[in-house]
Amino acid sequence: MPICDHCQLEVSEKNAVYDDINGRKQVFCCHGCDGIYRLIRSEGLEEFYAKRREWTPGPAEDQSVDVSAFSESLRPAGDQIETDVIIDGIRCASCIWLNEKILLRTRGISYAHVNYATHRAKIRWDPAQIDIKTILARIRSIGYTPKPFLPKAWEDEQKKQSHDLLLRFGTAAFFSMQLMLFSVALYAGYFQGIDERIKLLFHTISFALTTPVLFYSGWPIIRGALRGLINLTFNMDVLIAAGALSAYGYSIQQMIVNGEVYFDTAAMIITLILLGRYIEAGAKGRASETIGRLMQLSPKEARKLAVTADQTGMDNRLYVALRQMVPVSSLRAGDLVEVVPGEKIPVDGLVVSGTTETDESMLTGESKPASKTEGAEVFGGTHNLYGSIVFRVTKTGKGTVLAQIIQAVEDAQARRAPIQSVADRVVGFFVPAVLIIALLTFLGWLYQGAPMARSMMNAVSVMVIACPCALGLATPLAILIGTSNAAARGILIKGGDVIEKAASVDFVVLDKTGTITEGKPVLSEAHGIGISDEQALRLALSLEQRSEHSLAKAIVEASQGLEPFEVTNFSAVPGRGIRGMIAGKEVLIGSREFIQSENIAVNLDAAIAADQRWKIIESEKAGATVTFLYHDGDLRGVFTISDRMRQEAAEAVTLLRKGGLSVAMVTGDNLNTAEAVAKKIGIEMVKAQFSPVEKAAEIQRLEHEGRHVLMAGDGINDAPALVAATIGVAMGRATDIALECADIVIMRSDLRLVPDAVTLTKKTFSIIRQNIFWAFFYNLVVIPLAIFGILHPIVAAGAMAFSSLSVVGNSLRARLR
Amino acid sequence: MWSMFLLIILTLGAGFVGWLFFLWAVKSGQYDDIEGPKYRMLDDEEDAKEDDHEPKKDSKA
Repeated sequence: MPICDHCQLEVSEKNAVYDDINGRKQVFCCHGCDGIYRLIRSEGLEEFYAKRREWTPGPAEDQSVDVSAFSESLRPAGDQIETDVIIDGIRCASCIWLNEKILLRTRGISYAHVNYATHRAKIRWDPAQIDIKTILARIRSIGYTPKPFLPKAWEDEQKKQSHDLLLRFGTAAFFSMQLMLFSVALYAGYFQGIDERIKLLFHTISFALTTPVLFYSGWPIIRGALRGLINLTFNMDVLIAAGALSAYGYSIQQMIVNGEVYFDTAAMIITLILLGRYIEAGAKGRASETIGRLMQLSPKEARKLAVTADQTGMDNRLYVALRQMVPVSSLRAGDLVEVVPGEKIPVDGLVVSGTTETDESMLTGESKPASKTEGAEVFGGTHNLYGSIVFRVTKTGKGTVLAQIIQAVEDAQARRAPIQSVADRVVGFFVPAVLIIALLTFLGWLYQGAPMARSMMNAVSVMVIACPCALGLATPLAILIGTSNAAARGILIKGGDVIEKAASVDFVVLDKTGTITEGKPVLSEAHGIGISDEQALRLALSLEQRSEHSLAKAIVEASQGLEPFEVTNFSAVPGRGIRGMIAGKEVLIGSREFIQSENIAVNLDAAIAADQRWKIIESEKAGATVTFLYHDGDLRGVFTISDRMRQEAAEAVTLLRKGGLSVAMVTGDNLNTAEAVAKKIGIEMVKAQFSPVEKAAEIQRLEHEGRHVLMAGDGINDAPALVAATIGVAMGRATDIALECADIVIMRSDLRLVPDAVTLTKKTFSIIRQNIFWAFFYNLVVIPLAIFGILHPIVAAGAMAFSSLSVVGNSLRARLR
Repeated sequence: MWSMFLLIILTLGAGFVGWLFFLWAVKSGQYDDIEGPKYRMLDDEEDAKEDDHEPKKDSKA
């Protein structure tokens, strides 16, 4: 079979598009790919085909670009216009190269730059020469999808914060590096002797270098500590600020009396804390950026029709007077809206004309596409699969089913309590303990008859050494390594707090449709009667490839590689079946009723062997659709089409059980289907026909019983449950709402990643705890030295170095296998 | 003794210049895309001027 030269899909000889390009005969699967190939060549960019590595572009879709969604993001830049656009479909470096080159070679575009990390393109152009529509069409024409980038206020804020953090950390790092040079000289001076004046000079330089670290870089920490003290809580900031400031004050006093200084300790504590925060912010930012890219950002627009109905004629067809794109928010009940295949239905309504199937699984959990004809109800947020329909709006805005679910999500989010990190909990005990030890040291020295000043200094030195500077790294490092290891496997973890929460999970609830199953109809069984299975499939393929029906697509997909027969006299009976002639013999494919209603004297039950008959009854009970093939005067085949289980589902459940977790299934689908699936993969607890709100309530009930629930799902209908659970996991192809609600997003469609995610988070969490132990350990061991007044800067520096190394080394273990 | 003072001034000076360079780098957006450059350097730019905000030719409107 030939392979398309652009998208590298296999093309059947019959459908292939051949084209002579520069004397070479090229093969394409469609005219779209041919066009793109010519475009890329005409721009002199055919290097692209050599450069691309891991990605093959998909076949070109012929979709117009909806410009209005981009209008908000346009802004003037001098006499030119500038915008940010997310380019979807970018997989590797050569995609970026291609997009930039194509854009830059377009007349009127003066600047085009794509950010590798965010896939965001900044484009600037001259409005006199080109408009946004042409630019977007240009991106589209090479197979990528431009999406509007609407900066959210919090994103801007986040960017400003990370900028600020980088500046503060970088400054701290530069000054600390300088400081270290003089500290090492001072340590050497301690052992080998040092000129008094040089020592004073070095102390003064150290003081000058430490001051900006503490009061510029460390300002957010000091401010946080003040806030903590006002609220009478001992958070991490209080501990760090107390340690750094006491080291700083102690050192200034020592500088005057020509003692030993701890400026390096003060500066390093701040630097390492900031490093930890920078790492943590980065790990979090990367995950949310990737998830942001997964979201569809569907245009919030609808195609509204102004119509005149022909009431005088025999038919009640609608005559379209005007088609107009309007914002969804402007739709009112009674408006007529047209939806073409592949589009989302914007609001709830009743079908006025047209026949189609819609995928409502995201809303209801029902895996079978729902067939819609005149008078049927359609719901906002569901997908129109194969026919154009016009429907009359019944509910808009807050009244739609979708809006009610979003409301439930928001309610659940508002109830969510913030969690306190382990580090903060430990610090909460540690700070008072240190203060008491310092106080006892002070009183002890006074009691022994030491002067006031000396007792005071010893007490402060306890505070200095007690502050564990590796504490700032303990959590972020483990999280960084844990999350990047997870990301490499296709598990996106939204932040450090997720890891800490996930460690407590002891109960797993899985959604059925799209999580345990594939979420779309696939051919699960093909059985030939009197002919081979393959022959039966080939006959079916010949007819079904002409049909757009979702069940037909399942058969076509399953019979790739088979050569179809020539079909004549093809016709389809919507919702029932199709017929045609192959080599002069009639072929029918369809439901039991369809075959029998065609006046064909076939006794279906007699034609099927007893064991097969059982199977059919079983699979129909389990929610599968059974299709029959009639050919040459007899029943020739039976096809079972169902929402197939993911192959690895049973293994994933076993893995979860092995990890000591209970597993349950909850679904909006009916009980028969649910139980059949659950039985196959070994789940005993099944909750079927649950509405989105009931799902969330069920999770809440479990949480109230003291369980910590992990909920995995992908639909709009799972969103409230995802928020209600301790940890919500969204599967890769999930809806925007589910992605937004989830704590963990699984990028590959592999259910085994759920147990992987649990194992990894649990492991990372235990490493965080070990890290916190090691961060405190060395400092605690040397506290007695401070109590007895024999602490030296070298001991402090040693404790710092050892605890940091232990933490870094231990963090490296935060990966799977 | 003077050589030591000189060295101290040199180190502090070098560190300070490094810090200013860092400030400039952050301010001018060098850290905004830390993934890209490693790929961009692999592109053979036969027409490097293109990135200078100047479209050169247009073979197809």
